[in-house]
Amino acid sequence: MNSLLDFFSFADPNIRFVVIGSVLLTASSAIVGTFTFLHKKSLVGDAIAHAVLPGICLGFILSGTKNPAYLIAGAFVTGWISLIGVEYITRHTRIKEDTAIGLVLSVFFGIGILMLTVIQKSGNASQSGLDHFLFGKAAALVGQDLLVFGTVAVLLLLAVFLLFKEFSLLAFDKDYAKAIGLPVRGIELTLTSLIVLAVVIGIQAVGVVLMAAILITPAAAARFWTNKINIMILLASVFGAFSGLSGAYISYIAPAMPTGPWIVIVISTIAFISFFFAPKRGVVNRLLRQRNIRRTINDENVLKTLYQLSEESRNFFIQRSAEEIIRRRRFSLETLTKVLNRLKRQGYLEQTGKHWSLTEEGKNRGQRVVRIHRLWELYLTTHLNIAPDHVHDDADTIEHLLTPELEAELEKLLNYPKVDPHKSEIPYA
Amino acid sequence: MTEDIITPALEVHDLTVAFDRKPVLWNIDLKLPEGKLVGIIGPNGAGKSTLIKAVMGLLPLSSGYVKLFDQPIDDVRKRISYVPQRESVDWDFPASVLDVVLMGRYGKLGLFRRPRKADYDVALDCLKKVGMEGYINRQISQLSGGQQQRTFLARALAQQADIYFMDEPFAGVDAATEKAIISLLRTMTEAKKTVIVVHHDLQSVTQYFDWVLMLNTRLIACGPTATTFTQQNLQETYGGKLTLLSDVGDLIRREHFPNREGVIKQPKTI
Repeated sequence: MNSLLDFFSFADPNIRFVVIGSVLLTASSAIVGTFTFLHKKSLVGDAIAHAVLPGICLGFILSGTKNPAYLIAGAFVTGWISLIGVEYITRHTRIKEDTAIGLVLSVFFGIGILMLTVIQKSGNASQSGLDHFLFGKAAALVGQDLLVFGTVAVLLLLAVFLLFKEFSLLAFDKDYAKAIGLPVRGIELTLTSLIVLAVVIGIQAVGVVLMAAILITPAAAARFWTNKINIMILLASVFGAFSGLSGAYISYIAPAMPTGPWIVIVISTIAFISFFFAPKRGVVNRLLRQRNIRRTINDENVLKTLYQLSEESRNFFIQRSAEEIIRRRRFSLETLTKVLNRLKRQGYLEQTGKHWSLTEEGKNRGQRVVRIHRLWELYLTTHLNIAPDHVHDDADTIEHLLTPELEAELEKLLNYPKVDPHKSEIPYA
Repeated sequence: MTEDIITPALEVHDLTVAFDRKPVLWNIDLKLPEGKLVGIIGPNGAGKSTLIKAVMGLLPLSSGYVKLFDQPIDDVRKRISYVPQRESVDWDFPASVLDVVLMGRYGKLGLFRRPRKADYDVALDCLKKVGMEGYINRQISQLSGGQQQRTFLARALAQQADIYFMDEPFAGVDAATEKAIISLLRTMTEAKKTVIVVHHDLQSVTQYFDWVLMLNTRLIACGPTATTFTQQNLQETYGGKLTLLSDVGDLIRREHFPNREGVIKQPKTI
């Protein structure tokens, strides 16, 4: 608990560096990543992330120091070369883009690991810590790094801010952007450079291997919560920043822990929560909605059956047993009991001992379902020329779905008919 | 069959477009006058969409050139407007109807600048023109096909261009909306705008279009509907007499032959 206080009091300047650094890194990657995601270039992000490793090693070999400026320059160069490689292969051979990405990614990463091993074996004292680029180590950030990474992060944010509308349009409709004369090629190059830059600085926090996760996952998680692009970007950056902060904290209390995997675990947890629990787009909500639909269908079928049982006698409020309902329409007794009790709670039915009767509201709702069913059957036969013996199943579904507006439109279109194709009366309230 | 026009809105000269070397459009020469409602018709795979995309410079040309208002396309970008096929974009994109229509202003705004209040006014006005004023803040993923089409139309209108290229704007649109759109296009041509529409339904050609462009890999005919939309031209366009042409195209692809002597370019996959 003490470490938590120490950490979040930010008294230690090192902690300040680490926190500011990792939040900047993850948030700016997440923002650039949102456009990577919307441009459907997620895999490309992964390829770049792996391809920067040889560049970092090259930067180190050529400069002999771990000065981030040199490493970034090297990473930027090989990141770009990998992209050109992917594009060249896709354009000039029969190999498709996914295969090309796979090829380039593994070749570059292989070369990178090879170079890293050579450097580590060389006995150069200043090389220690270079392997942090594999899995990331936010706690390794010092003042000088922060200046460089901070500048790059601010540049990224500025570029996204300035080119926000262009990036959005290109993601949505590239041909149109070309047609209205936007410099599409230039904008794409800029976005790609931003992705490369985001990767280059992001690997400081999570490392090469897991970089794609902080580029893409925040955006993927944010997409579940909103349909507005600006809110999506904001959410993605908050998710990214939060995971960066957690990573920095873990890096601080447990120096032996690799930061990257922890950041990825945090952001993935956020993504899972979004996937399951986000309103509207989340899985749980969808399941709930489906359950509600099933319930509505069962409820309305029971009300409809009770209504139909009394159509002859015209006395809709007769008490009936569950068996009578089942004789007319097949329900399992268990389901029927549940439905009957629910309808009672909702005020559509009344119960006397073992018998059930419709309330006024229950009768009206049952009548509406019957009406829509018959109107739809009539519509299918008169307007779509479907044989009367083929329309029943379709109407069985539609009767639960139609909105009052569509119902009114249907009535008007058919001119308030009296009977359906099977000569059953169409009841009006 | 091609009429001569003194000041054409669009001039296409010896245009050939190839996919993987096989020509989809072959030696197209045509001129279209200003202020007309023009229909492009032809069977599936005739190159209708390819023609308007090539004219707007969205596809590489194997030969020929295109001029709009007697100028190269890149000099008049601000005067042209485009309604792509509805299926060409992912409608699950996080944007509202208004966001999409505002995209029509981006060309005029130029880089870096945000839409201004005046741009919002134009966008709202265009939404009203296509009868979508009730859906301004609706997410585009929740629109019906017809509403998506009208949103695209509003975006094109918001460009306030002089020439409009529309790729099947009536696909998925109900009859009433189609009528409304046509009368909107009419008022545009009355204001001297040129509207070029890729169209599928032969029934309505004479009723809708002033000019008609009949296409099947090569240009069959191009001229006023009354004199051009004839039984003979229809027969040529849809009659399937062009299988020889298609066979030669396949041969060019198989043999890796250039479309024009002396121009050997790397094939581009599109």
